[in-house]
Amino acid sequence: MEKITAANVESFQNELTSLIEKIHTESNPKQKMKYLKRIDKIQRSISAYRSKSKLSRETKRDLIAYSFIAPNFIGFCVFTLIPIVFAFALAFLSWDGSNPIEWAGLKNFKSLFKDKFFIAALKNTIIYCVGTVPLTMIVSLGLAILLNHKVLGRGLFRTLAFFPYVASLVAITSVWKMLFHPSKGPINNLLFNVFNVQQENLPQWFTGSLVLLSMIMFSVWKYMGYYMVIYLAGLQGVNGELYEAAALDGAGTWAKFKYVTWPQLSSTTFFVIVMLTINCFKVYDIAIMLAAGGNGELTLNSTVLVYYIYQKAFIEWKLGYSSAVAMVLFVLVLGVTLIQFWGQKKYQEG
Amino acid sequence: MRKKLISMLLATTMAGALMVGCGSNASTDAPATDASATDTATEAPAADSSAEAVTLKWSIWDQETTTYWQALADGYMAQNPNVTIEMVDLGSQDYMTVLATELSGSGSDFDVVTIKDVPGYATLVQKNAIQSLDSYISADGVDLAAYNGATDQVTVDGSLYELPFRNDFWVLFYNKDVFDKAGVAYPTNDMTWEEYDKLARSVTDTTFGSQVYGGHYHTWRSTIGLIGCLDGEHNILSGNYDFMKPYYEMVLAEEKDGVVRSYADLKTEGLHYSAAFSAGDTAMLNMGSWFISTLINNIASGEYDASLCGNWGIVKYPHADGVEAGSTLGTFTGLAVTSSTDVPDAAWDFVKWCSGEEGAAVMASTGNFPAIMTDDVVTTITSLEGFPTDDASKEALKTSNIYLEVPYDANVSEINTVLDTYHGMIMQGECTIDEGIASMNEEIGAILAQ
Repeated sequence: MEKITAANVESFQNELTSLIEKIHTESNPKQKMKYLKRIDKIQRSISAYRSKSKLSRETKRDLIAYSFIAPNFIGFCVFTLIPIVFAFALAFLSWDGSNPIEWAGLKNFKSLFKDKFFIAALKNTIIYCVGTVPLTMIVSLGLAILLNHKVLGRGLFRTLAFFPYVASLVAITSVWKMLFHPSKGPINNLLFNVFNVQQENLPQWFTGSLVLLSMIMFSVWKYMGYYMVIYLAGLQGVNGELYEAAALDGAGTWAKFKYVTWPQLSSTTFFVIVMLTINCFKVYDIAIMLAAGGNGELTLNSTVLVYYIYQKAFIEWKLGYSSAVAMVLFVLVLGVTLIQFWGQKKYQEG
Repeated sequence: MRKKLISMLLATTMAGALMVGCGSNASTDAPATDASATDTATEAPAADSSAEAVTLKWSIWDQETTTYWQALADGYMAQNPNVTIEMVDLGSQDYMTVLATELSGSGSDFDVVTIKDVPGYATLVQKNAIQSLDSYISADGVDLAAYNGATDQVTVDGSLYELPFRNDFWVLFYNKDVFDKAGVAYPTNDMTWEEYDKLARSVTDTTFGSQVYGGHYHTWRSTIGLIGCLDGEHNILSGNYDFMKPYYEMVLAEEKDGVVRSYADLKTEGLHYSAAFSAGDTAMLNMGSWFISTLINNIASGEYDASLCGNWGIVKYPHADGVEAGSTLGTFTGLAVTSSTDVPDAAWDFVKWCSGEEGAAVMASTGNFPAIMTDDVVTTITSLEGFPTDDASKEALKTSNIYLEVPYDANVSEINTVLDTYHGMIMQGECTIDEGIASMNEEIGAILAQ
């Protein structure tokens, strides 16, 4: 846009008048839009010139808006956005946090798939997610439906179901470890005394192949209360008339659930599944607390991706390699979430 | 209009404050690095630095429960009134990880750091976070021979980056009351591992309700995996771990027969070795000499029941067949000077003092083993109130060969991770001993081949 000065302000005025005339006679809507934009531009420039300010009023308005966003945005940039971008870059580099960064190209990714520990971590994380997500969803939905009825002590049961979520993870893992202690725990004692399981066949809940099962059970128990509350909120939003209508059509309990509750809850379910999936892939604390013991080390049967990222980054200081693992986790979560979005869209359209 | 102006002003000042906040950090860093550059360049004479007030920031762990930090700092400050030592407690659980993170950026202002283990030391050396002490050592004529070869095992490409001030070695603790009750003779200062195994089995009582465990292995890998290193021929950097097999077999057999508590149990309940020993149902415990001062202090304070574990003794670590008695594993704690310190001379002086004979005297007076072991030190420790009075226990402190638990290697933290993982898997029965050792050989072979 040309600069408006005292000398050429007249010519702009003239252009403006001619444009306004043209716009009245123009029939092509596209051409009309063009004229309108041009008029807007000239008007802004002229008003800026008249007010003797370097910035137009609109620019000023934008600046004010940006200045309000700035405090938060700068913080976000410095502490979140830049680190994220840097982490992406690091996956292709080799760095120990102090010495000069070296280019690694795809080397990090190539060695990933030969790494026994990475493969174990990936496998365990996926098994954990596949076990936890549907189970938590079903249990929390079931609880929500049960506790949505006006039963005696409803408030108490709701609180009880929600309690594990509020309780400190460290405290409740200690309790679980006591309960499931391989030789002194009440669960194994019950199996030994009541069900006559042989001493050497007693399940070792925190080692071997059972450790993932323990983690899944723990996670379902801890998080069912939270998702139950979300489902309860969803159930409150279901219109009661729909049930009445269904009842008039002769629908039983199952039919009511299948044709009214479930479809009405579809967006809640979508939210629950997305949140659950993301949280499951991020699992770290549960694995460390349940399976690692005093030394904080996980074996091949219990290691998970986030633990492996931590180990590679802060114990061995292979920041590039660890970022490559983080990238795999990112792609995994992104992929699963995209599939869920697509499924949700399809479901709602269909 | 005015409102708008004010709001805009406010917003810009807020934004500005943020920028300034970031900026001032950078500007405080700058003079610090400048200062260190000039200091190292001019090599200010020691007399100058002792005249002006200096504050040394020192990283440590568990200040509350460890007696010697304060004792060392006080001892040094008494002799050097111009120096103030500021201790920063980073906790013992993941001390080296926290320290490495602290020293990664340019913002940390530690002058002296304590080095807890060799893998952490390797990390700091590779990150250039601590400086080589060679020039100081030769300038001040420090005699490394006093450290009994310990410093040789942490020399990196001919340079030394830390000086040890505390040195621990493994001994066998035993509870005399348990042996008396079982009518079995006490362990001796010259036992092989087979003899130890037999002895442990002979005092074991598996009767439900009154169990007595003949031995106890803490969940560290070093309690079992390193026994094979005692012959002086094998070490954990060798890439072949077949030598660990007989000891894994011994321990797993002991677990099966109820001679020791099972690893899986210990891991689940997180039982500390001190709790196991002080409960009075454990006959023998292989542990580092640091446990001596813990036992003395906690029995004196009444934290451990003296009627259960008050009558304890120590003997030399059992040894492999055909090896001299008194061969044991050792681990030391060192001090290093950071690369970013602006008072390297003062920091070095403190390191030298703690590692030297004066520091050694302070360490011994708190019941801990200094890096320099002299006859005086042994006398000080054995004459401590609460130290066992029998001759065997005094004799047990005399070692012949000390093999470092972990010698230096560039890949040592990676090797450690692999060994720890398979140690856990073998001990939990997630794989057989042969499978576990084969995996160790394979994976560490790959690391060493890089």
